[in-house]
Amino acid sequence: MIVARDLHKIYGRGLSATHALKGVNLAVESGEFVAVMGRSGSGKSTLLHLLGLLDMPTSGEIYIEDTDVLKLAEEKKSKFRLERLGYVFQEYSLLGELTVLENVYLPALSSITHHADYKERATKILDIVGLGERLGHYPSEVSGGEQQRVAIARALVNEPGILFADEPTASLDVKSAGVVLELFRKLNKDLGQTIVMVTHEPEDEQYVDRVIWLKDGFGVGCQ
Amino acid sequence: MAVRAFIGDLRVALFLAFKSIVKGNRWVPILLVLVMASSFVNVIFTSSILAGVMSTMDKQLVDTVLANVVISPEEDEYYINHVNSWEDRIRQIPGIAGVSSHLNDSAFIEYQWKEKERPTDKGKSGTWQVVGIEPQQEADVTTIHSHIIEGSYLDDGDRDEIVLGVEIAGGDSAQSAPFLTLGGVKVGDKVRLTYSNGIQREYTVKGIFRAREMEQADRTAFVTRQEMVSVLGRQVFFDRASQILVRAKEGVNENSLIRQLSIIGLKGKVRSWREYSGAMHSVIFTFRIIASLIGSIGLAVAAIVMFIVIYIAVINKKHEIGILRAIGIQRGAIIGSYLTQALLYAVFGVVFGWLAVRFLLQPYFVRYPLDLPIGLVSLTVQPLTVGSSTLGLIGSAILAGFIPAWFIMKQGIIKAIWGE
Repeated sequence: MIVARDLHKIYGRGLSATHALKGVNLAVESGEFVAVMGRSGSGKSTLLHLLGLLDMPTSGEIYIEDTDVLKLAEEKKSKFRLERLGYVFQEYSLLGELTVLENVYLPALSSITHHADYKERATKILDIVGLGERLGHYPSEVSGGEQQRVAIARALVNEPGILFADEPTASLDVKSAGVVLELFRKLNKDLGQTIVMVTHEPEDEQYVDRVIWLKDGFGVGCQ
Repeated sequence: MAVRAFIGDLRVALFLAFKSIVKGNRWVPILLVLVMASSFVNVIFTSSILAGVMSTMDKQLVDTVLANVVISPEEDEYYINHVNSWEDRIRQIPGIAGVSSHLNDSAFIEYQWKEKERPTDKGKSGTWQVVGIEPQQEADVTTIHSHIIEGSYLDDGDRDEIVLGVEIAGGDSAQSAPFLTLGGVKVGDKVRLTYSNGIQREYTVKGIFRAREMEQADRTAFVTRQEMVSVLGRQVFFDRASQILVRAKEGVNENSLIRQLSIIGLKGKVRSWREYSGAMHSVIFTFRIIASLIGSIGLAVAAIVMFIVIYIAVINKKHEIGILRAIGIQRGAIIGSYLTQALLYAVFGVVFGWLAVRFLLQPYFVRYPLDLPIGLVSLTVQPLTVGSSTLGLIGSAILAGFIPAWFIMKQGIIKAIWGE
């Protein structure tokens, strides 16, 4: 379960300061597939960065599975991200020097608890996302939609409790976007994967259990 | 747990470094290894040439002036007494290749003195050291006999003949200015010596030698010991010597030889040749400091080049580094991958540099040594130089790899992903 309380995020100082989040509260239950929606500049990505431990809030609290994650030291935070969170970025998040398979098994290679059979597990997950035939290809040799599916496979390789996705379909064509969203729904329904996804596409609502709306840095409701 | 975490980080660091080298720009590793190898060769070469100069000077000092061990009179004496019996006793010590006693004096040497207009004119003259030797015994101890460039070496019975060092004789082969020599004495010419006790003798120049040991050997004249004894006084000097030179057999430890010589009751100071070589060594030491500075600059340049290349690589990979951190790869593993790359470049640089020194430069200088005024100088590669250069290069590379990666790690993940 994810609980965020009174999250504030201010970028910059003085007159140039931007108040991106202005006291957001939210709770996401385990096994939920939640979309965070709102206009551009509403603070969706900022919220996801804070929940995904990629950035620090100016104030507020975040609990993930009862752990006060903001109080973790940098090294432990990194380990927490590795072992318990998965993160899918908007685009260009694969490492160009690694093959599809290597990109996916890299987090497992780094993990103490998920190191065993890392290649087999990465291969299996790539099969699940439909890229079992593309293991030896480099990111530049696969399509944008396939790259996103590789990124999803990478996010799942250490079997994290929560998967964060920051506008994962923003740079994809309609067909590829549909494949990615279907995959998320399948993971959520079949494996009970908790997913928090930022999106600005209204049609994505059909795939999720619930939508959290943000407006100008405020949480304005759920649907 | 900490060990397992470390192994995990190491595994990722090695994996990322390997992939970066294999899939990255092929010219980067080639350039860096070349820079590292050149720096290594630069440091080794400069030090080894200086070591070669020192080694040549040391060898010449041993071969032409001092041998391995020098026995000199006790502090309150001018001469060593009972030399003949001491020589016999010394020869019985195992490991001795030869013993030669020297009877030294200084003499005013004149050439073409009959052409002087007035007896007080300087003419072609000067004061040099004259050494009385047993020629055959001396040949077992020093190599003067093999450095004769004109005429021949002394024979045991010679009385009115003299062998001159080239810096006394002068001429084209001498390094000194003509006015500091006799101005070009030839074999067969006559020279006149006025010894310190006032006795004057004329000698025919039997040979001229050039040992390339300009400080002492080439400024020395040799007569037979028999002749010197007759000059200084047969009664008193028959059994005396100014010093006894002892040559050790190949591979014999000089210190153990000195210990053995010290316990036979000899009334004299027993010293290694090294104790006489201080002045030149201090000059060489100064050169070594300069060489170290040049080497340090070379290392610094190599480190800076590596720093710049890795810094550019890190800057260009900010986005990827941000992604790595976002997916939970530890900072240590990411920094470790850059350290590993730097270390690999340095190690390969050292290996290729060493191969170049060992199989190109060293054989070249053995075949074509530098013909310097002090003699033929080759590279003397010392293990200490190789060790310190290797450590210096690897240390520089580690710093050059660590600093840029550490600098980027201090940045926030989101900023890194955005490439800010």
